[in-house]
Amino acid sequence: MSSEGPVLEALTGRLAECPADFLAEPRLGGRGVVHTDAVVSDLLVDLGGAGLDRDAARPFAGEGKERRNLLRLVQVASWLLGDPWFAGARRFAVPASQWLASGLDETAGLVAADRFVTDPERREELVRACLAALGLRPEGESEAQAQDRLTALSSVERDRVVRATQAQLEHARKVREAMRRKAAEEAAAREIRE
Amino acid sequence: MSAVPADRLERNPLMTEAGYETWLRLVQHPRAPRWNYVVGDRVRAEDLPHVDALRAAVAARRPAAGAVPPPELCEWILRLRATVGSFHERVPEGFELQRDWAHVPTMSREDLVVRIDRVVPVGEDLSRLIVYDTSGTSGHALVVPHHPRDVAQAHALMEFALARHGATLRTGPDAVAAINLGAQEAHTVVFATTFAVWDQAGFAKVNLHPQEWRSLDDARGFFAELAPQLLTGDPVGFAEAAAWEIDVRPKALVSTALALSAAAAARLRGRFGCPVIDWYSTTETGPLAYSCPLAHGLHVLPPDVFVEALDADGFPAAAGERGELTVTGGRNPFVPLLRYRTGDWGRLDPSPCPCGDPAPRIVDLEGRRPVFFRDASGGVINAVDVGRVLRRFPVLQHEVVQRADGSCDVALRFLPGERAELGALDTELRGLLGPGTALTVRVDETLAERSRLGKVLAYRSELPSADDADPS
Repeated sequence: MSSEGPVLEALTGRLAECPADFLAEPRLGGRGVVHTDAVVSDLLVDLGGAGLDRDAARPFAGEGKERRNLLRLVQVASWLLGDPWFAGARRFAVPASQWLASGLDETAGLVAADRFVTDPERREELVRACLAALGLRPEGESEAQAQDRLTALSSVERDRVVRATQAQLEHARKVREAMRRKAAEEAAAREIRE
Repeated sequence: MSAVPADRLERNPLMTEAGYETWLRLVQHPRAPRWNYVVGDRVRAEDLPHVDALRAAVAARRPAAGAVPPPELCEWILRLRATVGSFHERVPEGFELQRDWAHVPTMSREDLVVRIDRVVPVGEDLSRLIVYDTSGTSGHALVVPHHPRDVAQAHALMEFALARHGATLRTGPDAVAAINLGAQEAHTVVFATTFAVWDQAGFAKVNLHPQEWRSLDDARGFFAELAPQLLTGDPVGFAEAAAWEIDVRPKALVSTALALSAAAAARLRGRFGCPVIDWYSTTETGPLAYSCPLAHGLHVLPPDVFVEALDADGFPAAAGERGELTVTGGRNPFVPLLRYRTGDWGRLDPSPCPCGDPAPRIVDLEGRRPVFFRDASGGVINAVDVGRVLRRFPVLQHEVVQRADGSCDVALRFLPGERAELGALDTELRGLLGPGTALTVRVDETLAERSRLGKVLAYRSELPSADDADPS
């Protein structure tokens, strides 16, 4: 966050106006319309870098529908990074590529991509995450302010995930213990067996 | 103070003295099979309103055809998303279920085998959890948690199906509601009980294996004297009952577990003089469908499930095309299902049925064809018995094939992190199949992918006689 970036509101406003095309279905296993890898490749060229080769394109393609939300989020993030401010700087292709390839997985597992367009708080979260990944802070903010705000936006969710994970671990232990114990006991009579 | 012994009340908490008399009449019957198990319905008073509620709902709210689940099921999914890990993973915050339903990733048996704690809701009271095991059609050995309440609710669904076929059960402690027939190796459980939801009517599960009875005459006498109103079981058991010349006139036969061919149904109808209801149910989902009284497929039965037919990628099969039957909903509090792939394949027909039930129909149901193997001397070996051997090992998925030359090929996937004890498994299977059967036992990791494509049948026989449901 050492460098000053663009105005926050300009980017959140851009997200709010994300065209429906960027939320269209990614190409997965022969279905869908958006070739996410092509979208990213074009973006990187616009940012002054090289397009994706076959290996670099792999994170942006796939088969299972489990990857759908991640690829849609990559598409939304690509729209965000398509802001002229980034293209004009001609130096963000590498960090942008890294962020798109590996920085969005956790978020995509929790929140539908649409939310980063429709929900003001989620828009700010994505913009701040994007700027941080590029080593930037919003214009007019100090590093400390930018870090605090980013932490506040993501920490609520992170805390919730941590609490849920702890509860899940305890739950897993109880379920497996109950299953083991009950497997040794008789069940209940059924009028018909499957 | 009740005359019902405490150990009986523990198993049948609502058993009355009259119910106890019924139970005694069954277990002390002079011609009874050799009982080897003690079990009850475990139903408590607080469960009964749930049974009544489903009884009312199944008649009043027939499942509708559609591309997305009804709003109440979508609300149920969003509610459970907070406590069910497997729902949370598939439905991220803000996901629009009605709009994007086809994109919800599916669940499979692997979720239940490997990640059951991600399926059981966090915070659910586990004190009444019971378990059933199964091997099913996609070949995953599986232990499924249930609640006595959802097991009891299945009775309400069966009552509806019986009524659709013109049969009404007489309940009460002086009635024997049903006998469940099996024809397996002599290891299966054999017991008698009563059902609180059928007002203490009697029930028995028996095995038509000569070792389980003192004589054939006893078996015939047992059935004749108890006059069960229903025979439940699979086509192999019914075929054995016919072969044993069991002489009963039930109100209906309810056939489950295996596909029942039209020819076999007609034979059974003629033999037992009653409607034959094909009952589609799995251990994971509970009852799903019953055969149309006019033989136009199987109508989806419960009002609280949404059934789809999906292609290999998990998208709805094209109209008129076969797909893997996939289930959302249900009433098992420990196993809420979100697009759960059953491993069974069929077509969904939403068109109106002349029988009058508006519920969509499953037609051309496949996946549970009756399978039996033969040992080197030609003796019948039920696939259930092979499954019992496999379940003693940490097998995740299996495919057992008997080739036309009699040799057997057993392909296995083991649970992650578990040792593949092929030698011990080989020894046990040889004990079952007999020394003269050529047997190959091997690890096959392609089962996962082939299963996803609907290409794994847990049991398959290529013997010339294998298509006949009657193993005699």
